[in-house]
Amino acid sequence: MFNGLHLEKIDAYRFCIPQDAKSGMRVPGLVYANEKLLKSICQDKALEQVVNVAFLPGIVKASLAMPDAHWGFGFPIGGVAATDIQAGGVVSPGGVGYDINCGVRLLKTNLQHDDLKDKLQDLVYRLFSDIPTGVGSEGEIKVGAKEEREILLKGAAWAVENGMGTEADLECTEENGVMAGADPGMVSKRALQRGKAQSGTLGSGNHFLEVQVIDQLYDREACDTLGLDLGQVTVMIHTGSRGLGYQICEDYARRMVESMAKYKINLPDRQLACAPVNSDEGQAYLGAMRCAANYAWANRQCLMHLTRQAFAKVFGLSWQKLGMLLIYDVAHNIAKLEKHQIDGKEKMLCVHRKGATRAFGPGHPEVPEQYRKIGQPVIIPGDMGRNSYLLVGTSGAMQETFGSTCHGAGRLQSRTAASRSIKPDMLLKELSSKGIIVKASGRNTLVEEAPAAYKDVNDVVEVVHNAGIGKRVCRMRPLGVIKG
Amino acid sequence: MKNYRLLEHTADIGFTTQAHSLKGLFKKTWLSIVDIAVEKQSPIDRQKHKYVITQKASNLEELLVNWLNELLSMSAALGLVFTDIRIKKLNHQFIDAEASGTDVCNYKINTEIKAATYHQLKVYKDGFFWHAQVILDV
Repeated sequence: MFNGLHLEKIDAYRFCIPQDAKSGMRVPGLVYANEKLLKSICQDKALEQVVNVAFLPGIVKASLAMPDAHWGFGFPIGGVAATDIQAGGVVSPGGVGYDINCGVRLLKTNLQHDDLKDKLQDLVYRLFSDIPTGVGSEGEIKVGAKEEREILLKGAAWAVENGMGTEADLECTEENGVMAGADPGMVSKRALQRGKAQSGTLGSGNHFLEVQVIDQLYDREACDTLGLDLGQVTVMIHTGSRGLGYQICEDYARRMVESMAKYKINLPDRQLACAPVNSDEGQAYLGAMRCAANYAWANRQCLMHLTRQAFAKVFGLSWQKLGMLLIYDVAHNIAKLEKHQIDGKEKMLCVHRKGATRAFGPGHPEVPEQYRKIGQPVIIPGDMGRNSYLLVGTSGAMQETFGSTCHGAGRLQSRTAASRSIKPDMLLKELSSKGIIVKASGRNTLVEEAPAAYKDVNDVVEVVHNAGIGKRVCRMRPLGVIKG
Repeated sequence: MKNYRLLEHTADIGFTTQAHSLKGLFKKTWLSIVDIAVEKQSPIDRQKHKYVITQKASNLEELLVNWLNELLSMSAALGLVFTDIRIKKLNHQFIDAEASGTDVCNYKINTEIKAATYHQLKVYKDGFFWHAQVILDV
């Protein structure tokens, strides 16, 4: 029994919450975890949320929780749910979250760890100075109303058209950096106002930019395909759609709370408010959500451009000569219409990934051709003191999790608990002793995001790898971190 | 101001507060958020900006969330921190208020608050006091 729920252990990495655990569940719950992670997942109410998600109209197979799952709003963070659109399946803004298309991108360089030794501090300071960070940060990249609309429609391609990247970057971005069906007419004026001036900004909270070194290879063939090797320097960028996404989520969560009675939808938690995908409310939300997703891809593309420029200044070489190519960019807060096999039949589903990453397996047509043999790259950031991972998607994920896997380490401690127990100076000293330089806009962010506040990403990745819903390629460790 | 109590939540920040009246409760929940989000610095721009805020909802809990989110969203969009609240009319489905504030440059921002949520939301009267529990997405 966990939190009053009876969990059935399927194997070492899967636990089932039977459909009869609570009256009204349409499908069972399925939690990917080992015994150790299950204990931390059970410390809060994440499992209760897995159960609540199983009430969503049209949900198929199971309400899923990844090993990094923890308590969120409506959905747990680390939750995956797919609804059958033809069977009245719903879309829920709470199944995406406030930071629409929060995601991660990974760049490689041709630098080795030794090349950084004398320059790491300069590099971290340069990145911190050139990349706008912190709460409400505004960027150098100023756009007018017309251009903002273009960003919502074109996504990362807008940045490339404006000299911030190349076509090759777009090929290595999920959805090629732009979701079709974005409808700026469905975005409120307030949302546009909140998003204005935030293009090319990192933001705060758990968002970061990290200079890393590859310290472990797991799959030599995949590393060769990706052009990665031991000791190679990489850069990871984690951010999302900033104020624009928050406002779109808020606008539509409110609208759907009001419209649920119209569709006779009763759910155990208002934060799961939803509407049928094929309803006016559902279509309007998806149109607006895709705008925010495109904004986030443009944002990460702009940030990568600033990162390349900062490296070029510090090393006195162009980013092309530094080999700063994008490995891949993934969204981990999103809802997408995707075809999947359900009971032997292909169905169009609305797949919600909230704190979960798409992990399409080898051969999938949406995986860039250069990676199709190995599967879609999946980027899993950890905390600032331990590791991050590069995985690839698997056929196991396609069969079990609608092509989804974990998204990070997952919080272990609340922000208030972390602030109480961690001293910023001690933390910086501890990170420095590991050779990690950190620059943060706020001391609050620093302690709230301390390694002790997170689960160990190594445990999380071990579960998805062993469960077959993601395959380890290589591991990175941080050298320099900038945070909001 | 510390007339609120922080709650533990793995992902985010929650708090509870109380007041003698419903109007007082709506005002205090907002001022609690201001206290969590920002810290006053030496003023650079003293000009006050005043806005009228009206919100509707089908019940009291939803009205509180709508009220807080309208203020959060206006603060972010306009770059203001609203510290003076005057509630003219309030019932369980409607609020009419005036909010005044100064430029955000007068403050140090500690926490970016994305929204107030329906998650574990509570508004109730217990004896002489009105109570609210709010979880914020940060």
